[in-house]
This record gives sequence, C-alpha cells and structure tokens, in this order.
Amino acid sequence: MTAVSSWPEALARLKAEVPDAITGESARPGVLAVLAVPAPSIRRLATWLRDEGTFSHCSLVLGIDWIDHMEVVYHLWSDALKGYLELSVTLPAEDPHVDSLGGVWGGAIWHERETWDLLGIRFDGHPDPRRLLMPEGYKFHPLRKSFELREPEELEVKSRHV
Amino acid sequence: MTDTTASTHSAGTTVVTHLHKGDSPAPEVPTEQILAVSAKEFIPLWKENLQGLVNKGMDTLTQPLFNWAGRNSLFPLHLGLACCAIEFAAGFGARWDAERFGVVPRSSPRQCDLLIINGTVTWKFSHKLITLWEQMPEPKWAIAMGNCATGGGPFRTAYSVVPGVDKLFPIDVYIAGCPPRPEAMLDGILRLERLIRERHG
Repeated sequence: MTAVSSWPEALARLKAEVPDAITGESARPGVLAVLAVPAPSIRRLATWLRDEGTFSHCSLVLGIDWIDHMEVVYHLWSDALKGYLELSVTLPAEDPHVDSLGGVWGGAIWHERETWDLLGIRFDGHPDPRRLLMPEGYKFHPLRKSFELREPEELEVKSRHV
Repeated sequence: MTDTTASTHSAGTTVVTHLHKGDSPAPEVPTEQILAVSAKEFIPLWKENLQGLVNKGMDTLTQPLFNWAGRNSLFPLHLGLACCAIEFAAGFGARWDAERFGVVPRSSPRQCDLLIINGTVTWKFSHKLITLWEQMPEPKWAIAMGNCATGGGPFRTAYSVVPGVDKLFPIDVYIAGCPPRPEAMLDGILRLERLIRERHG
C-alpha cells in the first residue's frame, strides 16, 4: 500500500479500512478535520493513522472537563499532508478512562500523564502511570471543575521521599 | 513480698512506688548525704569541671572571631527557583558584585551556610528543598527572597504552591518585592549579617 497524499483520500481510505472508527466529522479552521471517535476504537484508529495515514507525530493530548462529561482531544501532525488532525473522544464524567496511545506515539506518554494528574482521566495500558506535575501521594485532580480551593494543610504531602 | 511498696511521709500522705517484681525496695538516701562529698571525691570532679570551664572559656574567646569570620563569608546555595533567581544572578554580576561582602554561591549544600529561596516553591519541590536544607551543616541561615517565598505571592491560593516557605523550615530574613532588586537582596544579606552579630556575637 502506498501512503496517502491528500486528506480526502486519507479519509476515504480510513472509512473503508477502519470501519466504525469514527462517529462524526466536523471542520475547524487550522486543522484538516475534527473526528469524533468512540473510546473503544481509539487505539485501532491511532495505529492506522500512524502507519497508513502518515500522521507520525502526536503533538498534544489534552482533557476537558465539561462537568456532565469529559473529553480527550488529540492533535496529530502529518508531514506528508502538512496539517493537523484533531481527534475527540467523549468520556463519561464518572470514572473516565480510555486506551493509552503511549505505545503508538511515545510523545503521548507525558501528555497522558499530565491529563491523568490534573483531570483524573485514566489511560489504560499506560507504560508509566505516575503523576507528572503534582507530587506522588497528592489526593486531588486540581483542574477538575469540582475541585475547590483548600487549606495548605490539606494539600501538603507529608512523605519526603517522593 | 509485693511489687509495690508504700512509705508514709511526715505529712501523712502515702506515696506508692512501683517496683519490678523481685526487686528489693530502694534504700532512701537523705539529700544531705548525697551533697556531702568528701574532698577525695571532689578533686576529680573539680578537674572535670575545670576542663569544661577551659573549653567554655576558649569558646567565649573564639566565638567573636568565628562569628566575625562566619558572618562575613556567608556562602549561599546556588539554587534558582523562579524569576527572583535572575535578580539573584544579577546580584553576583559585575554591577552589584555581592562577592565584595564575602557572599559566594556554592553548588553543594554541604559547603553552604545560607539558603536563599528565590522563587515560587511548589509542593512537589518542597521535599527536595527540605532535603537541601537538611544537608547543609550547622550553623545555617535562610532568606526568603521575594513575595512567593515569603507568603506565596500571587499564587498563594493555588493548588500547587507552598504559601510561604516558612511552612517548611525557619526563615531568618524576609525580602519583599516581586522580584526584589539586587540591592534589596544585598540589603537582606547585610541585615542577616547584623542579625548574626546581634544574636550570636
């Protein structure tokens, strides 16, 4: 198989070769497309996009707390298509978790650690599931909308060997 | 024989002393007898005390010298946390030249006697900062430089920032400013020198 040379061609092949991987497609200035992806098929889709779709670089993974649900957004860059592709995964507010893409793009590992640290979205199969910015033993996910300001005594992590 | 023994004092109160099983009750020694030390026993005691007295005298004589040497050669840890570290670095440059006060930044906490906390301290870094502080040999002093180290600054209510580094260990001098200019840092160091002279001189 040859690599794709344009985004419409890539999208057509994607729909044919990875069925049911996307549930919606929308446009946004600055990116090739925004694809809504169901959580169970994200790893399958990501592997195809890396190997066949020429999206060799995962530049960003971020989480959004919409209060009634959570969202994980991936930004992928393709050198051949000279553009970004945006993937959006909607997760439930209670116990949000999605497959890790750390095995597909190594660059996603730190972004996923940060998203877990600050928003509490679990990434199943993550190779290094530690906190990134807060100390180990920290009890909160502080960028959640439900997080409230607290006294410093609550935030302090007593163990010194972290 | 019981494991407790009771003795009646002149006032009429009863004191119960717990003893281990099998122990005989300790003989009561009158205070006068303890205090009455013969001259034979007194001389070695006096010699020991004389040694202590000599040591203390030497300390009294050398303390001002060591204090003078220590306060005029404060070695801060070369530690930069945030934007105050830029002012800290400028203070050691050609324009302000903190080295003329004997202040030389060192790279190992074991060679330092002054910790200048120049920036925002996060909860994650607080453990490392305490480790650095504990690695420094006594006598040691700490300066909180800038509003963040003093009281958390603009990040006081943040989820990740220590609101004042004095929550971690004692601070001797606080320097206000966001960031304080190098002159303010030098003023803080000179105030610390005065504090050392007054407190331990």
